[in-house]
Amino acid sequence: MLRFSLLRTGHAAVVLLGVTVVVFALMHLVPGDPVRVALGTQYTQESYEALREASGLDRPLVSQYFHYVGSALTGDLGVSFRTGEPVTLVLLERLPATVSLAFAAMVVAVGIAFPLGVYAAARQGKISDTIVRIVSQLGLSVPDFWLAILFVLLFSSTLGWLPPSGYVPLTEDPLGWLSRVIMPATAVGLVSGAIITRFVRSAVLEALGSEHVRTARAKGLRHRIVMGRHVVRNAMVPVVTVIGVQAAILMGGIIVVEVVFAWPGLGRLTFDAVSARDYPVVQGAVLLVAALFLLVSLLVDLLYGRIDPRMSLR
Amino acid sequence: MRRLSRWAGAALVSALLGACSPGTGVDRGLSKDGSGVVAAIAGEPDQLDPHRTSSYFSFEVLENTFDTLVEPDENLTMRPALAERWKVSKDRLTWTFTLREGITWQDGSKFGADDVVYSYRRIIDEKLGNAWRFEGIEHISAPDDSTVVLELDKPIYNLLSRIGGHKGLAIVNKKNVESGKIKTHPVGTGPFSVDDYNPGESVRLKANSRWWGGTPEIPSLTFRFIPEPTTAVADLEAGEVNWTDNIPPQQVERVSQNQDLKLDTAVGNDYWYLATNQKREPFGDPRVRRAIAYGIDRKAIVQATQYGNATVNQLAIPKTNPWHTAYSPYSHNPRRAAKLLAAAGVRDLKIDMLVTKEYPETVTAGQVIASQLEKIGVTVKPREVDFATWLDKQSKGEFDMLMLGWLGSQDPEDFYYAQHHTKGDFNFQKYSNSEVDRLLEEGQEETEKKARKKRYAEAARKIADDASYIYLYNPDVVQAWAPQLKGYKARSDSAVRFRDVGLTG
Repeated sequence: MLRFSLLRTGHAAVVLLGVTVVVFALMHLVPGDPVRVALGTQYTQESYEALREASGLDRPLVSQYFHYVGSALTGDLGVSFRTGEPVTLVLLERLPATVSLAFAAMVVAVGIAFPLGVYAAARQGKISDTIVRIVSQLGLSVPDFWLAILFVLLFSSTLGWLPPSGYVPLTEDPLGWLSRVIMPATAVGLVSGAIITRFVRSAVLEALGSEHVRTARAKGLRHRIVMGRHVVRNAMVPVVTVIGVQAAILMGGIIVVEVVFAWPGLGRLTFDAVSARDYPVVQGAVLLVAALFLLVSLLVDLLYGRIDPRMSLR
Repeated sequence: MRRLSRWAGAALVSALLGACSPGTGVDRGLSKDGSGVVAAIAGEPDQLDPHRTSSYFSFEVLENTFDTLVEPDENLTMRPALAERWKVSKDRLTWTFTLREGITWQDGSKFGADDVVYSYRRIIDEKLGNAWRFEGIEHISAPDDSTVVLELDKPIYNLLSRIGGHKGLAIVNKKNVESGKIKTHPVGTGPFSVDDYNPGESVRLKANSRWWGGTPEIPSLTFRFIPEPTTAVADLEAGEVNWTDNIPPQQVERVSQNQDLKLDTAVGNDYWYLATNQKREPFGDPRVRRAIAYGIDRKAIVQATQYGNATVNQLAIPKTNPWHTAYSPYSHNPRRAAKLLAAAGVRDLKIDMLVTKEYPETVTAGQVIASQLEKIGVTVKPREVDFATWLDKQSKGEFDMLMLGWLGSQDPEDFYYAQHHTKGDFNFQKYSNSEVDRLLEEGQEETEKKARKKRYAEAARKIADDASYIYLYNPDVVQAWAPQLKGYKARSDSAVRFRDVGLTG
C-alpha cells in the first residue's frame, strides 16, 4: 500500500506539472491584459508600462514560466497582481469556506441519493421508480443558480426562516454556520444528488441481477440482509467513484452558488481572479484544485480495497 | 421503537430550523443591535490603496477612510477638506493651500504638508493610474508644515476638481505605504478607520475619534460584499444589512413601495454611450454615424436596460450638473437614418458590436439596438466577451461599435477631453476634429466660468453633431436603506458617505 501511495504521488507530481503548463499557456493565450484591468479605464501609456514592468509581465513568457515553476516547488505561488498578497495565503484563507460548503453539499447529495437510488432500484419498473427517475432527471436539468435564487426568495424574503447570505466559520459558531450553509448546500447538493441517485440506482440494479444475490435469496435470507450485505455493498464501487468525482468538483468551488450567497470560497476567488486576469491567483487555485482532485482519487482507490477485498493492494 | 425514532427525527429537524432563524444569527459586525451600520456593496475591493485601485467597490470604502485636500459637496462644488483655505496668484499659476491645524493620522501620528507632497509625488513618480490629473503641474512643495504650494506651467481652471474630485488623489501615510500594509490595512485621516478585513466577505471600519470633522455618530460601519442583487435586497429586507446600492433595476419600484425601507435616487454623473470605430469603413463617414444616432430609440434602450431608472441624454453631462448644456439633435427617425445611409452609399451594413457581461446593460442594449437598426437595413451582431478581453479589443481598435459608460466624471474636462481630443488617451474611436481640439484646449485654460462653459458647450455640440460618441443616457444612482439610518443621501457623484449618518431607535 505504501508503494502504491508513493507511486501515485509520483504520478500526481507529473500531472501537476502538466497542469501548470496548460494553465500558464491558457491564461496567457486568452486575450485580456491584467495591467489594463488593474488600471481601469483612465490611465496613460506611461502608467501602463510602469505597472507592466513592476508585475514582471514584460519578460519573455518562457522565463516567466520557469520562474513560476521554480518558486512553486518551494511552496511560493507568487503574489496576487491585484492585492499583492501571497497566493498561498489567499488560497488558504478561502479553503475552509469551500471545504465546509462542499462537505455540507455532499451530506445533502448522498443523503438524498442513497435512499432514493436503492429504493428506485428495488422497485424497478414500478411507478415509484419512474417518479424517482423523473425527479432525478429534473434535478440534473435545473441550474443550481436558479435554485439558489429561488431559495433566497422563498426561505429568506417570503418565509424569513434563513439569513439570505453570509458566512460564519464552522469552528467559531456551528449553529450560525449551519443556518447559512443550508441553502447553498441544498442548492448544490440537489444537483449532485440527482447525478449520484442515477448511479446508485443502476449499480444496485446490476447487483440485484447477479447470481450471488439469487443464491442468497434462495438460501432464504431476509430481504434486508440480502440488500445490506450482498446488494448495496457490491454496488458501492462505482458509487464511491462517482461520489469522489462529485466531491472533488465541489472542492474546486461552486462559483455561481458562492456568488449568490456571498460565500467567500475558492470558486468566487477564482472567478474574480479570472475576470481580472490575476494570473498568479488563477494558477494557484487551479493547481490547488488539481491537487485536491488527485488526493480524492487516491482516497477513492484506497477505499476500493475496503469495500471489495478482492481489489485490495498488497 | 420505529415510531419513537421518527418523532425524534421530527423534533431534531424543528430544533434545527428554530436555531436557524435569522434572528439568532451571530453578530460578526452584522449589526442588529443598532450599534453600527452594515452596508451591502456589489463586489469586493481589489485593494485599499487609493492610489493604486481603480475599483468602484474600493472607493465606496475609501470614501469613508481617506481625505483629499478639497472635496465636492453634494452640488459638486469644491469645499475645504484637509486644506482649510487656498489662494490663487494673479497669473493663476501658483496655488497656495493652508492645511487645517491639529490633524492626526488614524494611528495617532501627526499629519503635515510633507504628507501631501509625498502623496502627490508618489502618484506622479510611480506613474500611477491618476498621474494624468497632474499634467500641467510643474512643482509641488511644502514651504512649512501647514502650507502646500502647487506651481503650474499654464492655468488649470479645474485644478480643485482634479485633486479633490476623486479619492484616488487621497493623502496617504508614507509609513503605511512603505510597510505595504496600505493594501489591506490603510491608515488615513478620514472619519472611519479600517478595523478588520475578512477576504471575500466584509471589511469593518470603526469611527475615528480624531477626525477633524468630529467623531461620526455611528461607532462602526461594515461593508459586506454581496454580488447578487436579489440576495442584497433580501438581506436588506431581512435586516441583515442596513444599506445597499446593489438593487436590480426591475426591483426598484417594489423596494420603493416597501414601507419598511427608504429608497433614494439621484441623477448620476455617469453616462453610457455608443462609439463606432472611425478608422474602419464606413464609420469614418459622419453620415453613417448620424444614421445610427437617428436609428436608435434611446427611451426603449433605457426601458430595457434600466427599467426606466435613467435619464435619456444626447450629451454626456446630466442636467443636474452645473456644466450641463441642453442639446438634443437626434430624434428616433428611422426614415431619416435610412436616407443618410443611402446618401453615404452604404448598403447591407453589418456591425460587429462589442458587449460584456461585466456590464450587463451592454448585453441587453446590444439586443435592443440590433432590433432597432434592423429596420434601417443594418445588421448588428453583438459579440459578448469578458471585460479583460473587451478592454484589449477596445485599445487595439478591434471593433466596429461598442457600448460602455464613463463613471465618476464631474468637470467638463473629465467628460470630453480624453475621449474626443485627437490626442486624447481614451479616444479609441479615433475621432479627430481640429475645431473640437482647439475648444477643449481653451476650456482647460480658460479662467472665467461663463466663457469656459461656452467653450465646452460648443465642443459638446460639435461632438454630438459628428456623432463621435452617440450618447444614450445618465443612469440614476439608486440606493436603499433602513429608516433607522438618519441623514443619509444618495449623491449624483455616487460617493457613499456615512460620516454624517446617525441611527435612531
